[in-house]
Amino acid sequence: MITKYITAVSTAFSPFNARSGKTVRNFLALLPPNARSKMAIDVKMFGQREAEKPASLSLTFKDGKEMAMDLEKMKLKDIQTEVDRHSRTLRRVEELSG
Amino acid sequence: MPPRLRLQPSQLRPVRPRTQYVCWQCRHASLASATTPAPPIEQTIAAVPPISRYPPTQPPSYKPPEFRKSQLHRVYQSTLRSSPLILLFQHNNLKATEWSGIRRELSAALKKVDDDLAKNAGDSAYIGSGMKLQIVQTGIFASALKVVEFWDPKFEPEAPTTHPADPQTASSTSIEDTKPVASDPGFKHGLSKQAYLATKKNQALRHGLEPLLSGPLALLTFPDVSPQHLKAALSILSPGPDFPAPKRRVNPAYHEKAVQDGLQKLMLLGARVECKVFDTQGARWVGSIEGGLGGLRAQLVAMLSGIGAGITNTLEAAGRSLYVTVEGRRGMLEEEQKGGKEGGEEQPPASSA
Repeated sequence: MITKYITAVSTAFSPFNARSGKTVRNFLALLPPNARSKMAIDVKMFGQREAEKPASLSLTFKDGKEMAMDLEKMKLKDIQTEVDRHSRTLRRVEELSG
Repeated sequence: MPPRLRLQPSQLRPVRPRTQYVCWQCRHASLASATTPAPPIEQTIAAVPPISRYPPTQPPSYKPPEFRKSQLHRVYQSTLRSSPLILLFQHNNLKATEWSGIRRELSAALKKVDDDLAKNAGDSAYIGSGMKLQIVQTGIFASALKVVEFWDPKFEPEAPTTHPADPQTASSTSIEDTKPVASDPGFKHGLSKQAYLATKKNQALRHGLEPLLSGPLALLTFPDVSPQHLKAALSILSPGPDFPAPKRRVNPAYHEKAVQDGLQKLMLLGARVECKVFDTQGARWVGSIEGGLGGLRAQLVAMLSGIGAGITNTLEAAGRSLYVTVEGRRGMLEEEQKGGKEGGEEQPPASSA
């Protein structure tokens, strides 16, 4: 996953929700080690009792685009594809501009 | 031409195998009336298990034991059984310097708690030195947790129901724990086939930690449930309003870049306290118990004795109030009598005079 062009990550999830919790946690694990200095990461965790509350994941890119992921339908692979698609366009723009 | 080797024809015959020399006594030993030594007493009472195919220190493992993951499985089973309190964290790409910084701060804080407890409460258990923050292989940990939760090795053997001298025992009764096969229930170790089948057989069993066992996992293990140590650990690893982090003036090393960057990448997921699953809030609640487990027991004792005293008071109340009323009335009557007597005594002297 190309993470160079992400500027902010904002999530809210419950680790006890098997589907959305695992997706969000594995997404956070894909961020590189020096990511925290370059992007603003906001994580809000629900408890065991709020496991059924809908989870949210939204990303902001360098060009200002905000992408909100629908965690009911998307798995980790789908999220990666979406992020990569936008990041590749940004990369092309950057290469062309110098 | 004559042969180069001068061999006689007798030497060319095939050599008969030479038998080992046996002395005359040994050769005729079978004819003698020698006595065999008596078997040990235990052998006459119970059946003797056959010679085991596997040495007792290397019982048969279902999966190949030479793989690192089999040995990690054993290590994790042992950790789970010996740690009544385990905190689960997710670690997102922490660097080695960040890990060493975090472990340094954690051990310093725990040592302080240990010293405080040893000095003030006389509790020299030094739990902090037995605590470890370690990364685990999530898949193997999940498998080890299933074995620990769902497999009961039954170390106390059931009393044998068949006695060889009992006339009711059939002569062809088979005795358990005598088959030298890998799947024999006599093997009670966590890597045995029995342990593996116990986790596979019933897929509906759940231990509650399943959703957390995904992605990179790190554990903080406590050798004993100690809310004071938990409070110190949480104030370092996942500080919050209830467990504040040490201030910069008090502990400047805690606020260096490596430690702070690492702590941002550590996420507390939940806790396993005495085989029960708690979430972040539950873990914080356990940490907020004042005075540790000793204090909790003291509170419980005080509450129970308070209940007893309350019941006694309630039952005595009727009798006590009756007694108080009667005493009060008696006092009043005595006063009236005294007053009447004094009044009576005062009058006659006045009349006589």
